[in-house]
Amino acid sequence: MFQRIYQQLTSLNLGLWLIAGVMLALAAGSFSQGAAEGGALNEMPLFAWLLGAPVGFSWWLWIALALLALLTLNAILCSIEALRKGRSLAPQLMHLGFLFIVLAHLLSAYGGFKQQFQLPEGGSLGFPDGERVSVERISGQAGPMGMLSSYQALMRIGNGAPNSVEPNHPLFHKGYGIYLKQVELAPMPVALIEVHREPGAWAALAGALFFTVGNLMLLMQRRGKPLQ
Amino acid sequence: MKWLLIASIPVYLFGAFRRPIFAVALVLQLAYLAGRGITLGRLPLIGPGDTLAFFSCSIGLMALPFLYARELDQERDLYWGLGAIAALFAGLALPFPTLNMPLPPVLDTYWFELHVALAFFAYALFGVGALLGGAFLLKGRRSLLDLQYRAALTGYSFFSLSMVSGGIWGYYAWGTYWLWTPKELWTSILWLFYSLFLHLRAKGTSWDKRFAWLGIVGFLVALFTYLGVSIFMRSSHSF
Repeated sequence: MFQRIYQQLTSLNLGLWLIAGVMLALAAGSFSQGAAEGGALNEMPLFAWLLGAPVGFSWWLWIALALLALLTLNAILCSIEALRKGRSLAPQLMHLGFLFIVLAHLLSAYGGFKQQFQLPEGGSLGFPDGERVSVERISGQAGPMGMLSSYQALMRIGNGAPNSVEPNHPLFHKGYGIYLKQVELAPMPVALIEVHREPGAWAALAGALFFTVGNLMLLMQRRGKPLQ
Repeated sequence: MKWLLIASIPVYLFGAFRRPIFAVALVLQLAYLAGRGITLGRLPLIGPGDTLAFFSCSIGLMALPFLYARELDQERDLYWGLGAIAALFAGLALPFPTLNMPLPPVLDTYWFELHVALAFFAYALFGVGALLGGAFLLKGRRSLLDLQYRAALTGYSFFSLSMVSGGIWGYYAWGTYWLWTPKELWTSILWLFYSLFLHLRAKGTSWDKRFAWLGIVGFLVALFTYLGVSIFMRSSHSF
């Protein structure tokens, strides 16, 4: 009996059905209020949202997660089987990349953090360990159409050196990222700052690297090789 | 400069069944995009006008190596089909005004340009794959299915790299590599679709026809991810 269950769990057909199921659940979710842009789903860690959101909003995500859990198991077992049989390493590296990305989402879904602050020049925000980040100067340059084409804030952590923070150039401190989202220069300079913690970021990057290496290897292997 | 894009359409439509003329149409589009790029000081990737033109040019660019594949020697109707798809999207770009504003600060990074350009190369290859799948269904030559698989695999590789670069950009721009928005969901659906499609290769020859059809469906999913989400859903990725 265990043999049969194991064969089912390692089967390609199961993997294909699970992928199709995840796709359908995500497609349904894309039309739901739960995934609406600006919804609470992007404002808190996924697990916190899932536990608080009405099932009418979150059902598609519960289904997707359940299918994804099975798909993860299927990918692990398939890779083990493939390695046991001495098959090509490339697809297994891609599976490993996928598994790391699932791990990244798990870590971020559990321990992610996001909070916004509106701070004037001279204002500061505090970290749980008591350290403070102060905003010393806020500036921006207007483009030809009058909108800000660039903006930056000079920030200092504790008594350290000042750092210039601008869009796409956050300030990282003890696992947190400090992001400058927007500034207003009049009537007085004010910065909209977001503090993020994304504990899965390293796993996502590792997954991306594994996947890319495996993908490139697969491309090389398939060059000029006809379908079987 | 728009005349270059306009001129590429009849060249594709009336001459794409000859490979050198197909290449001429592509050069016209590349010259148009280069001109736009020089004017803007960046890749023209904002707004429906520029993205449709970029998509059209990507189709021509990604189709070119397939046109010269040994298996497609003398497949003039296929050359024309690829040219017609490129012409269609160039034509769709024309009614839209081009946006000449500087990039908003959050988009002003190479990660953004890489992310979008790779996505369009992938969409273009999915389109090439769909047409090859259609040709297989009409002619039944298995070498066409081989090429469809290669187009899809290369497109999938570009698309995966686009998702990676988008994640890196998102992490530096927004503090997260992932947002639960319709565009991200459809991006994942498209990626999963082609993961499934490429796994189907292991099912053997009995799946050939279904494989070819799914390649066509995949391009429709890609078009919905690119255009449908922007038209029917609210997303930060909208034009």
